[in-house]
Amino acid sequence: MTMNLTSSSPLFRLDYGGKLEREIANLMEAFATHKLDATRYPSRWLAIKLLEADADIIEHVRTLPNGEKVIEIAKQSSEKLKSWLGDDVDMLIADRRYGFINGIVRQALKRPSMDRITLTDRIDDIVTHKWLGLPIFFTMMYIMFRLVIDVSAPFLDWTDTVINGPIARWFASLLDLVAAPGWMHALVVEAVIGGVGGVLVFVPGLLILYFFLALLEDTGYMSRAAFVMDRFMRVVGLHGKSFIPMILGFGCAVPAVYATRTIPSRRDRVLTALLVPLMSCSARLPVYVVFGLAFFGSSAGTVIWAMYALGILVAMLAGMVFTRTILKPDASSAFVLELPPYRAPAFKSVLIHMWENTREFVRKAGTVILFASLVMWVLLNLPWGVTNQRDSYFGRVSSMIAPVFAPLGFGDWQTGGALVTGFMAKEIVVSTMSQIYIGAEEVEEPAEPTTFLGDLSEIGVGFVDAAVNSGKILLSIIPGVNLMDEEAEEQDTVLSRALREHFTPLSAVALLIFVLLYVPCVATLGAIKHEFGTSWAVTSAVYQTAVAWIAAFIVYQGGLLLGLG
Amino acid sequence: MLTQLLSLLEARENGLSLFEISRQMKAQPSAVQSMLNLLVQKGRLIEIGPDGKYCSTCGLESNCQLLAVHGKRYVSAAQFSKKDEAICLEANPAETVI
Repeated sequence: MTMNLTSSSPLFRLDYGGKLEREIANLMEAFATHKLDATRYPSRWLAIKLLEADADIIEHVRTLPNGEKVIEIAKQSSEKLKSWLGDDVDMLIADRRYGFINGIVRQALKRPSMDRITLTDRIDDIVTHKWLGLPIFFTMMYIMFRLVIDVSAPFLDWTDTVINGPIARWFASLLDLVAAPGWMHALVVEAVIGGVGGVLVFVPGLLILYFFLALLEDTGYMSRAAFVMDRFMRVVGLHGKSFIPMILGFGCAVPAVYATRTIPSRRDRVLTALLVPLMSCSARLPVYVVFGLAFFGSSAGTVIWAMYALGILVAMLAGMVFTRTILKPDASSAFVLELPPYRAPAFKSVLIHMWENTREFVRKAGTVILFASLVMWVLLNLPWGVTNQRDSYFGRVSSMIAPVFAPLGFGDWQTGGALVTGFMAKEIVVSTMSQIYIGAEEVEEPAEPTTFLGDLSEIGVGFVDAAVNSGKILLSIIPGVNLMDEEAEEQDTVLSRALREHFTPLSAVALLIFVLLYVPCVATLGAIKHEFGTSWAVTSAVYQTAVAWIAAFIVYQGGLLLGLG
Repeated sequence: MLTQLLSLLEARENGLSLFEISRQMKAQPSAVQSMLNLLVQKGRLIEIGPDGKYCSTCGLESNCQLLAVHGKRYVSAAQFSKKDEAICLEANPAETVI
C-alpha cells in the first residue's frame, strides 16, 4: 500500500470525528491566513501534530515566520477540545487510530482456530489433574528435598571441614601472632566459628534448594502448584488465594504476610497470615539438615520432606479450626490465576536467583547471627570466669525453661535455651547449639603441623572430592545406576556428631516438629502486628507455640508408648 | 479502544496482566501491548513489572516474590496510590530470604 504524503489531498484520510475535524480544518485555515510556510509537511498532518502538542513539530514551527501565532492557535484549540471531550487531544487521536485499526483487523483478519491443544495444555492436563495434581506436587517436593540433601551432603561435609579445620586454624594462628588474650581466642573460636560457622555450613544445601525453587518458578510449575493446592484448600474451607502467600512462606514468612494484601477480604487476610508461619521457611532448613543427617542418614531427605508436608497439613487443620470458630467465612470470591505457558528455564536467571537468595542468607549470618552469637557467648560466660556453662546466666535461665520441654523428649537446658534464641531467627537455634555443644572444643589440630599452602591444597582437593561424590549421587538417582560405594561414609558435621550424644531419633523428630510449628520469628510477628494489630500477633505466637507443644508431645509420648524410644 | 482499556483498568483495584486485558477486550496480546506501552508512556497507567516504572525504582525486582507469583501487571495511575507503592517495598524487606 502506498500513500501520497506530500499531496494536500491524500489517498486515505482517517476521520477523527466532528469536533476534532473542525479544529484540524480551523488550524489548516490559520496556516493560510498567517502565510505559514508549511510546504515541508502535509498541512493536515502538521495540524494534527500541533494539536497533539508534538514537541519536535512545535520546535520546527517556532522557527517559521508567524510560527508562534500558529502555535498559540493550536494550543487554544487543544484546550477547547480537552474541555469538550474530556481528555488530552493526543489520547483522543490515538484512541481513534486504535479504534480504526481494530475495526480493520476484525473485518479483514481471520485467526486460526484457538482450540488447538498446545504442549502446555497437554502437560497441564496431567499436572493440574483433579486426582493426579496433588500427588505430583508432593512427589516434586519430595524429589527436590532428596536432591537438596543427597547432592549437597558431600559439600556440606567439605564446608564443615574447611570451617572447623583450616579456617579455624588460620584464625587461631592470627590471634597467636598478635598475642591475643585467652578470652579473645575463646570468643573467636566459640562465637564466630562455632556460631556463624555452624550456620554457614548449610550454604551448599541452600544453594541447591534455591536452584531447584528457581527452576520450578522459571519453568512455570509454581503457578500450577498454587492452582492444585487451591482446590485442596477449598475442601478444608480456606480461600483459594491463600496459597500464594503460603508458597512465599516456604522462602520467608515476612514477605508472605505482606503478600496477604492481595486477598480482598480482611477475614481471609487474617486467616492466611495466621497460617503462613506454619509453612516451613528456609531458615528452618539448617535445623532439619543437621538433625536429619545426625539421626536419619540416607533418609534425611524423606524426613525433611515430611516436615514440609506436615507444615501444610497442620496449616489445613488450623485453618479448619479457625474457620469454624473465631474466623467464620464470609462470601467467597473466585480465584483467578494466570497459568503462563511452560518454558525452558533461563540458566543465567536461575543462577542469579540462586545466588541472590543465598547471599541474603550469608548476609544474615554476618549480621543478625553474628550479633546473636556474640551476645550468646557473653551470656554463656557471665558471671566472668564461670567454668560450667550451666552455671552461666544463659544456663541458669535455660534451666528454668527446660522442664517445659521435658515431656517432649528434650528437657535439657541446652535445647531449651537454643529454642528460646530461635525466636530471634530460626537459624540461631543451630548457631546456639553449635556454641553450646561444640564451641568449647579445641580446634582440631592435624597430626602434623600444616602450612598455609598445605591448607589451601587440602581445601581444593576436598572440593574436588565433594564435587565428584555429588556427581555420583546425582547420577545414582537414575534407576539402575549406582556409582556409590556400598560402604560409603555417612556425611556428617561436627554438630551432628555432638547431637547424637544428647538426643534419640524419637526426641530428634519431636524437636523438629516443635521447631517447625512453634512461635514465628520476631520479624514475622512484627509483620503480623503491622498488618493486623497486636492482638493477632499475640494470637499467632500463642496458638503456634501451643500447637507445637501438643504435636511434639503426641509424637514423643506416642513413640514411647509404641516402643520407638 | 484506549478509553475502553482505561475504564477497564480503573475498575480493577489490583490491575490486570496483559493476557487478562486481552481476554477482556477480545483483542490479541500484541495489539494490546502497544496500547499499554502508549498509556504507560503517557503516565496514565503504572506498569508493575521488572521493566516497569515502579520496579525500576525498587531495586529488588529480581528478588520480588509478589512479581514472581503475579507476573507483570498494569494498574490505572489514578488507582495507584502511595499506599499501594508501599506494598511492594514492605513485601520485599531486606531480610527476604527466598
